[in-house]
Amino acid sequence: MQIEVTEVLWFEQHELSLPELAELSGLPMTLAEELLDCGAIAPLELRRARADLRFGSAALRAARAARRLRSDFELDLQALVLALGLLERVADLEAQLRELRARQPQPIL
Amino acid sequence: MKYKDYYASLGLERSASEEDVKKAYRRLARKYHPDVSKETGAEEKFKEIAEAYQTLKDPEKRAAYDQLGSHAPGQDFQPPPDWRQQYSESPFSAEDLDLSDLFAHLHAGAGRSGARRSRPGQDFEIAVAITIEQAFQGTQLDLDLNMPEYDAAGRLHRTPHAFKARIPKGATDGQRLRLPGKGGKGLNGGRDGDLYLNISLRPHPLYRATGHDLYLDLPLAPWEAVLGTAVEVPTPGGVVRLKVPPGTQAGRHLRLPNRGLPKPKEGQGDLYAIVQIVVPSVIGDAERDLYQKLSTDSGFDPRAHFATEAGHAN
Repeated sequence: MQIEVTEVLWFEQHELSLPELAELSGLPMTLAEELLDCGAIAPLELRRARADLRFGSAALRAARAARRLRSDFELDLQALVLALGLLERVADLEAQLRELRARQPQPIL
Repeated sequence: MKYKDYYASLGLERSASEEDVKKAYRRLARKYHPDVSKETGAEEKFKEIAEAYQTLKDPEKRAAYDQLGSHAPGQDFQPPPDWRQQYSESPFSAEDLDLSDLFAHLHAGAGRSGARRSRPGQDFEIAVAITIEQAFQGTQLDLDLNMPEYDAAGRLHRTPHAFKARIPKGATDGQRLRLPGKGGKGLNGGRDGDLYLNISLRPHPLYRATGHDLYLDLPLAPWEAVLGTAVEVPTPGGVVRLKVPPGTQAGRHLRLPNRGLPKPKEGQGDLYAIVQIVVPSVIGDAERDLYQKLSTDSGFDPRAHFATEAGHAN
């Protein structure tokens, strides 16, 4: 079997337009727009015309989670926004916990 | 093709009603969905549940599934000849196919005559654990994936894909990488799916990572902490000399700038050595005498603040 070496892209360095975000996440464009209006998906810079908005990795992550949650739990927009908000808070808390654990010296045995 | 018992996956009898199927799925999805579950193996378990639900929730697919008969899970079987004619949109080779592929592409009745629509390939997301050393230097991962694909003749197959992904230095815990076009093949001109790698760092005996910063416990003897010293500290990039100033307290973070993990574009995280003051568990007579003398001569009172704080309280 032929083995090829593939280069990877940093998720963190993506800058996507809203249609690209919708395509990569598999969300319908209208739903991506609604999630943007509700603040569940945030652009990198707010003060721009909608057509010029750019989205980063956090938005792509949220959009992909939205697509999964919507299809797997049959969530409507309200429930989706709520779930995404809670997931974001969980992720923030987990990151804080990870940092605190790293900063915490291990007990000496 | 290996048989899967979709009813058992959802914990149901074959006679279960549509409502039962939905309820069982909701209950199990709540428990095992990878976005909300922390159970080990949740992802695999959820895939199994979702696959079963996709087929059983649809009355036509469920009927097609029921007509495959009941076999032991994992047992090799062939769909009956008339089954293919009745349900399958396109020819398939049952040998190297997964049961889920069969039902994902099953369009009983109406779909069969419809024009072939272009469909994007499926995105895949997999978790990979790398060591701190691999994150520091960059690494190459061997990936082995099995994906459903159509061959040139339009027959559906499960095709193994083995390839190497070069992970550049700069990856860290919780980071994701995208391999464009490495997911499932697009259909009728649809774009190929992407492969996402979710990176996690394996626990390391010395370092703890957060972002691109590393933390390391630095044990010091009491006299080293009091008098100050220079110690050799391991870092992923090699040993460095660290000056410990006199009077260094336990818990202090001594920062080694740019000795943490490299960042993707430029720059590097820091390494923090956290001072721990450790005491020997066994001492000889000469050492004991020295500690005795120190105890007598020293005017140091580590608990002086107890008295003043307790005084304030009264």
